[in-house]
Amino acid sequence: MALILIVEDRANSRELLRTVLEQQGYVVQEAGDGDEALSRIRTQIPDLILMDLHLPGRDGYDILREIRNTPAMAALPVVAVTANAMPGDREKVLSAGFTGYISKPVALGQLREEVNRLLRP
Amino acid sequence: MTDSPHPKPGNNPAEQENGSAPAKGVESPNEIFGEKRFQQLLEAAPDAILEVDVQGRIVLVNETAEKMFGYSRTELYALNVDDLVPAAMRHGHKQRRASYTSAPQMRPMGSGLDLMAQRKDGSQFAVEISLSPNRVNDVVRVVAVVRDISSRKLAENKLRAVQELFTAELEAKNALLEARNRDVEQANRLKSEFLASMSHELRTPLHTVIGFSELLMEEVEGPLNPKQKRFMSHILQDSRHLLQLINEVLDISKIESGRLELQAGTFEFASCLQEVMAGIQQQAASKNIRLENKTVFLDPVYADRLRLKEILYNLLSNAVKFTPDGGSVWVESQILDHALEISVCDTGVGIAEAEQENIFEKFYQVGSTTKGVREGTGLGLPITRKLVELHGGTIRLTSRPGQGSRFTFSLPLLGPPGL
Repeated sequence: MALILIVEDRANSRELLRTVLEQQGYVVQEAGDGDEALSRIRTQIPDLILMDLHLPGRDGYDILREIRNTPAMAALPVVAVTANAMPGDREKVLSAGFTGYISKPVALGQLREEVNRLLRP
Repeated sequence: MTDSPHPKPGNNPAEQENGSAPAKGVESPNEIFGEKRFQQLLEAAPDAILEVDVQGRIVLVNETAEKMFGYSRTELYALNVDDLVPAAMRHGHKQRRASYTSAPQMRPMGSGLDLMAQRKDGSQFAVEISLSPNRVNDVVRVVAVVRDISSRKLAENKLRAVQELFTAELEAKNALLEARNRDVEQANRLKSEFLASMSHELRTPLHTVIGFSELLMEEVEGPLNPKQKRFMSHILQDSRHLLQLINEVLDISKIESGRLELQAGTFEFASCLQEVMAGIQQQAASKNIRLENKTVFLDPVYADRLRLKEILYNLLSNAVKFTPDGGSVWVESQILDHALEISVCDTGVGIAEAEQENIFEKFYQVGSTTKGVREGTGLGLPITRKLVELHGGTIRLTSRPGQGSRFTFSLPLLGPPGL
């Protein structure tokens, strides 16, 4: 059963993602900030990480950098989920090393498609 | 035979060998070129004329020279020309005289220099001097014509003072403008940052509002009764409306503050239009509206693909909204004046002429759509027009109530810059 780690500081948003993903049969773990995320990854490597860019403390870009710079985690698929909607954001995210980009508010269909694409090719 | 007013060449005994005709005047032929005549000319000259030998001794003067320098001619004949130069410049003057006599030619003296002369009473004044060599029985003399330019210098100095004043004022004003520019740039930066964070803040809670509404509508957590379904559907519809509003307000705010930048590229227009029409399909089908692509343009265009889709989507969406069930919406194309003209046409309710100017204004909504409600945000057309204009095109409307509408926008057919 594939494990997905959700990194998101708002409880409502975490519950929304958890509901949708568990519906699809995935196992879900949550982290409320970057440090918690890193510690969860070290405890158990997830198959996919869905990460908000806007986090308290270290932001999504910063956490991604650490993931990509840590050999044990470097190849993990990390999808940015963000309410930033400025043009160029998608390019900025992808060139920073994220595997994918989902903009909030997310269409449930699009979220499901993206996750399935990455975990059930 | 009448007397001619001018003496004919060859007929006049006073004509000289160089062929010049004597001036019409009161002198007798002998008087015209006599010594008295030339003496009078010399004395009457408006500039001072001095003839000087190689040592600088003054050997000939005219009356103007006497008046200008304040010496009688007797006094002048006893002077060296260096004495007419202010003391500080005398040494240099002596040297330049020597270099002149070694290679004398007719020319101004001291080009580019401010020349000063000195009167008998010691007062100094600005002058302009021209020099010319004169051979008298194998002896070289120098003829100097001196013009007093003090009043001209005064005028020049006054003008320069005024110019300097203006320049100083201009510099002060420029400095002020630059400071203001910096303030404006700062304000713009703050505004951009505000817009970006506002957009983020507004979209974040909508994410869960829309998400949970959709989840409920999917009935995975349990069925909804018809009334609950309807209530949820209202919530969902208005949430999406709110999202659209946020996006459009952000858009129009960027466009108006000149912060929207087109990301232009070359792409196939036909496939871009296809995508938009596919997106409108469901809306049209739900009202049994026939949606047709009658365009014939198959070439690539250079434009912002995302924004072009936005333009097409806005126009098509409006067409469907304002056309009653069973009607038609179609798209035509034509080339006119090096531009691609696209027309989105419908058999809808039409727009009264009085309203046609207003519909491009922000938040203006024409009456109601065919559902009897005001749909949309009222920002679609203003944004569409701005996007068309950013591409260098124009948009116009042909419509009459009850006779459908035709929105036509043009897209200049340009290549990418540098081509």
